[in-house]
Formats: sequence, structure tokens, C-alpha cells
Amino acid sequence: MDVGTAGRRTRVVVTLLLAAAVFYGTLWGDDDDFPVGPFRMYSTSHELNEPVADTQMYAVNSAGEEFQFTESLSGLRRAELEGQLDKFDADPDRLAYLAESYHNRFPDRPQIDQIRIVIEWIELHNGRPTGNTSTEEVVSWQR
Amino acid sequence: MAEMTSDADRTTDADAPRNLGDRLMRWLFSPVPLGRVAAFRTLAYLFIVWDVLVYSEAARLKSTVPTELYVPLNIGQILPFPEPTSLVVHVCFWGLLILSPLAAVGLFPRLLGWSIFLLYFEWMLIFNSYGKVDHDRFAFLVALALLPTIGRAKHGDTTKSEKAGWAFRVIQLAVIATYFLAAWAKLRFGGLEWLWGTSLTWAILRRGTEWSNWMLDHVWLIKTSQVGIIMFELMSPIIFFVNDRIRPYIVGYFYLFHLVTWLAITISFAPHLIAMTTFLPLERVRPLHWARLGFDRARGRPKRPAEPVTDAAG
Repeated sequence: MDVGTAGRRTRVVVTLLLAAAVFYGTLWGDDDDFPVGPFRMYSTSHELNEPVADTQMYAVNSAGEEFQFTESLSGLRRAELEGQLDKFDADPDRLAYLAESYHNRFPDRPQIDQIRIVIEWIELHNGRPTGNTSTEEVVSWQR
Repeated sequence: MAEMTSDADRTTDADAPRNLGDRLMRWLFSPVPLGRVAAFRTLAYLFIVWDVLVYSEAARLKSTVPTELYVPLNIGQILPFPEPTSLVVHVCFWGLLILSPLAAVGLFPRLLGWSIFLLYFEWMLIFNSYGKVDHDRFAFLVALALLPTIGRAKHGDTTKSEKAGWAFRVIQLAVIATYFLAAWAKLRFGGLEWLWGTSLTWAILRRGTEWSNWMLDHVWLIKTSQVGIIMFELMSPIIFFVNDRIRPYIVGYFYLFHLVTWLAITISFAPHLIAMTTFLPLERVRPLHWARLGFDRARGRPKRPAEPVTDAAG
């Protein structure tokens, strides 16, 4: 057939290395080990009475208008915002980069002067939403 | 391992492999027709066009985001991949958009294949380096890395190739690893509590649809679904132990699982779904060939010779 002895050996080695890498990732790695990190989509468990977090971002522009600062406006997805929440919390001035991103995207619109990140907590009781929600402001930045 | 089957022709008893090692090698390299490679290549590279335009659009958004918010992954720190400046994002975007359609028609399979793999890998580093890593691309990345090793492949070519066989087998293994190891990750990060916790409730509250919101009121259904998901993931390797007749049904079940997931929580796993087509006899799907046959018939020309025309006889 079309694979010689050397080609066969190389391919077997590649297969084993790939398998070793992905097993390592699953057992000991984390998301930083992409592309062989653990396949941990929705892998954390939550208790039945633990509230569900929904993170949102709001911005105020120089004209004083407040609006939800969505992915297509800021360039950052909700999950990315959540992934970097610690960093924003430790250094709220990092939010200025998102104002800059907005300005790069929409140079003609009024600039953003304030950004705040809020978490909407959705209450659960025995795994069912009770209908009660509360919002918590976690980080804010002002120019 | 006794029931392990392959797409290869059945071997006769005389040259049947004697020990487990030989059998495994034969299984790992069981030949695949080059027409299947051509079909998969067209599908995978055309998918990239939709991917960069729509599915991974978030990477393109990063062209305006200052690189101060870029948090490089380990591989981005070890290997000299560039920071996603506006220029880098645009080079990847336009490079993929222009090269992928050329690769989809089979031009320069190695040169274009490797170039696309590198561009796409950088695209993925951009996509995954701002605080969130997606998990639906492992098998697709493996596919992009291995397609160039096969070389030239023509649509409709029935010649079987071990190079192609190996590449397809490893892509399949990557697809199934995504399921099996996902169950493992759930047990590692979530523990057994994952089974009766509210992970699915979280998912629905955050990304639910009219197809799934009603489930929130039925906690038992949420829990049953969670147990079902883990069972399905743990049992997925069974696909390597069934025969050619049953395999498409199992693949169909996998697709159905993703359809339901997409309806319920709008997570599609699209690149993974493309990689999963390596389990199917893709070479039988030939839209352009069928169109040509139809055209010829309409013009009253005779059937094209030496082409598989089994289903176009009418």
C-alpha cells in the first residue's frame, strides 16, 4: 500500500504523542493547555439552591446615554468577560481598553466614559428558578 | 477487540493478522477510498469560510481590542505565535477566506493544507485567548493537521489509501475522545454531584430557548438528561466495535444529540460535527457530479462512461 515502514512508524509515534497529550490534558491540564486541555464544557456542578450568575456589562457615553455593552460593541464575549472578571476586579482600569476597543470600532460615535460590570443572580430553590433575581455591581470604571 | 471492524475489505483467513499488535496496526491503517478524502476536504475547507465569517466571528472582533486584554495560552507562550494585533487578525481572516475555497477544490493539497492549518491555529489562539476556551474544535484541528499528509485525492476516486486510512482513523479517535474525555472532565471538575446537580439548569437559564425553558420546571427531567449525557459520552467508543451497517445509525444518534443540544441551549459544536463526517461514506455524496449527469440528460447526451451512476439511472 502507500505507507512505507518509516511512514508507518512516524504515524504511530504521532498517534501515541497526540493520545498522551490529550490524556494528560484531561487528567492534569486546564483550559490554558488548548488544544489538548480537558473537555470541560459545563463540567462544574452546582447545588440545587445555588443562584445562577448571568454577567452583563453597561456603558455610559459622553452624551450621558447608558446602554448594554454587548459583545458586538465591546469585542468581548460574555464568557470572556467572566473569564477575565478577576483581572478586571483587581484592576478596574483594564476596562478602559474596552472603551478603546469601542472607539476603534465606532470612531464616529460619542466616546465611552463609564463602564460597569454587573452580575444578575437568578435564585433557585430545589433546582427551580423562584422568579427572584438580584443584581450585584462587581466592577466599575470611570474615565 | 475481536469484533473490531474497519472500512477495509475483509481479509481472507490466509493473511489474517495473528496477534493483537498486527490487528491494531491493520485497524489504525485500514484503507479509505481517496474519493472520500476529496469529499471531506471540500467539506472541511468550505466550512472554514462559514466559520471565520459567522461561527468564530468573535475572533474577528478582536481586531479592535487592545492586546493588553490578550491572555496567551500556554502554547502561545511556548511557540512564537504573534500577538493578535489588528494586522494579525486581518491576515488570518483574509488568508483563511481566500485560501480555503482554493483548498476545497483540491489545489496544492499540501502547501495550502499546511498554510491553512497554521492560519487557522493562530485564529483559534485569538479566539480562545481572551478568557474563554471553547471545546468543540479538537477533532477539527486534528483533521486540518492531518489532511495535508494525504496529498492529492480526486472526487470519485475509488483507489484505497492507507495514508488516508490513518488520517481518518485518528480524526475519528479525536471525535470520540471529545465525548469520552468530556465525561471524564465532568467527573474531575464536577464530581459525581454533577449527575444530580443543576448544570443543565445553569445552561438553560443562561442560554435557553423556547424549546428548553419549560424544562426548568421539571427538575427530574434535568437530572435524567444529565445522567443520559454522561452515559452517552462514556459509551461513545462503542462506535469502533460495531459493523459498517450499524455504524451510520450510531453516527446519526450523535448528530441527533447535537441537534437537541442546539435547540435547547444553542451550542452547536459545528466544527466537531464536520470532523464526525469521517465516519460516513462521504464519497457517495456527489452534488456536482449529479448536477452534471442531470444536465447531460436534459441535453439528451449519453451517460458519462466509467462513473458510478447507480442512483442516476432513471
